Amino acid sequence: MILFWQSLINGLLLGGIYAACSAGFSLAFGVMGVVNLSHGDFVMLGAFITYWIFILAGIDPFLTLPFTFLILFFLGFFLQRLTINRLVGSPPIMSYLLTFGLHLVLSNLALRAWTADFRTVQTSYSGLTMSFAGLVIPYSRLATFIMAMVVILGLYFLLYRTETGRLIRATAQDREMAQLMGVKIFKIYTLTFALAAAITGLAGSLISFTFVIHPQMGLPFTITAFCVVVLGGMGYVPGTLWGGIILGLVESLATTYLTAGISVAITFFLLLIMLVTRPQGILGKGVVEWSKGS
Amino acid sequence: MLMRRAGLNGILLPLLVLGVILLLIPLLGMAGYRLRLLSLIFMWVALAGCWNLMSGSTGYIDFGPVAYFGVGSYCTALFMLKGGFPFLLSVFMTGWICAALSLVIGLSTLRLQGAYFAIATFAAAEALKQVVLESDRVLGIDFFGGAHGLTLPSPPSGIFFYYVMLFFMGLVVSLTAVIQKSKLGYGLRAIKDAEQAAELTGVPALQIKIRAYILSSSLIGCIGGVEAYWLTYIIPDDVFNVMRTIQMVIMTLLGGMGTLLGPVIGATFFTLISEFFGAKFVYDYLIIVGLVIVVVILLMPQGIIGTLVKKRGKSSWLF
Repeated sequence: MILFWQSLINGLLLGGIYAACSAGFSLAFGVMGVVNLSHGDFVMLGAFITYWIFILAGIDPFLTLPFTFLILFFLGFFLQRLTINRLVGSPPIMSYLLTFGLHLVLSNLALRAWTADFRTVQTSYSGLTMSFAGLVIPYSRLATFIMAMVVILGLYFLLYRTETGRLIRATAQDREMAQLMGVKIFKIYTLTFALAAAITGLAGSLISFTFVIHPQMGLPFTITAFCVVVLGGMGYVPGTLWGGIILGLVESLATTYLTAGISVAITFFLLLIMLVTRPQGILGKGVVEWSKGS
Repeated sequence: MLMRRAGLNGILLPLLVLGVILLLIPLLGMAGYRLRLLSLIFMWVALAGCWNLMSGSTGYIDFGPVAYFGVGSYCTALFMLKGGFPFLLSVFMTGWICAALSLVIGLSTLRLQGAYFAIATFAAAEALKQVVLESDRVLGIDFFGGAHGLTLPSPPSGIFFYYVMLFFMGLVVSLTAVIQKSKLGYGLRAIKDAEQAAELTGVPALQIKIRAYILSSSLIGCIGGVEAYWLTYIIPDDVFNVMRTIQMVIMTLLGGMGTLLGPVIGATFFTLISEFFGAKFVYDYLIIVGLVIVVVILLMPQGIIGTLVKKRGKSSWLF
């Protein structure tokens, strides 16, 4: 029984991180209809930024978060301005392929620069854990979980309690109407994508505290984001929290009682079943008909 | 008369001449690397053509055709290894298995729209890959060979595969030509333009989408089986590699989606440049491929053929 509760807790902690990793994906899809296949590479870049600042400057990993946010914000800004902005309104396949091209460039540049070595961020408090009724909770995992929640709540606050957030949501809801009301949608697109990249980078930084990092870690996180976002409802940002936690729990339980490899297969079957039976997400608030033409 | 209506009269003779030349090439003494490269081009033309048959004509972006490539590779390998069937019979049976599988997957996923269909097919491919990778370990059997893959019986010479790949290329290209002028083809294009309107005017949308999907998937499966025997060694990470999907998509897009010659031109061009860059810049190869994709999407979203059509100022089904 203790094994069950332990894997439940592990799953919950994992799910928080998954949610933080996927919120940006959902945001970009909801507002621009762009399925960003280079999403996972932003996670990877965030992780490496924290790693290098920690190794070279010796700054505590938690204090590197503002740097990650800024660097990824500008990266997202430029990528959107130079490439993705030109595709708004063209068939979605263009955005899949363009972002996959970006994925190839980013991940292979990282591979060339940093080699395929597996790296970890080892701090003085990395191994510390707390015990509670026989359950073990590593402090670093708990701290990253809390930070992930802060990131998601921050995004929620921005989207639902500020004027900028209202503009972003208006653009997502009806692009033409928002334009008629005087919203400068291309500015909103740029801001949205930069913001999505920045939060994803933050999640990547958080991941580097507890996961092994390497240049090819991106694509699996893109796939995780698919799954989380479909579970929570595509384009509905608060839904990623639920999607992430469900996915974390499923993966953790499957890993405990089956094998790690089959838990990935279960993830995909979950995604497939979800898409076929309930594409609007468990909360029923996702964007359903992004039809081909628009 | 039919030929003229199909717009084939001007191009039929050059095509026939090209076909005869391609048939004679191995007899004229071409061998080794060049023959292999040609066979590789034929394979990619066939694969991109299959993808184009389904996604190019309907606009439903299938992001998991590699599922059938992988399943086809494994089916053929298992038929030959465990069943002791001859190669061609194995490939034939593989086609039927992929058809059955694509009926199941297609019935569920083809009701989805846009990005949802793309993600669902992508997930299906990854799920199948994980099943092949893990089921040996989980069930405690020795069937798929897990991450170590399977080794097939030693294959015949390269000339054999040259002709098999040539056959599949010819089959896919002529099927595309026939379908484009058939009722099915008109139905598929109607779906691409306006699915609801097509359905209202009596096009059985789901049914014909599934027919195109099954046709495309079973052919991809057969080609996967041929490649497995050609390479003699298959592992899940290679035959289910997402790069194969991307290559089919980018080749079709490069040439021109929904056109007959688009996949032919795109696949030939892309295979040649990747051979060139793959040999010249072993480490930077994927960076270059990524940049090529980005540049093509931004500068030539209509593909090579689409750009040509714009210049000529008129459109025909061939171009």
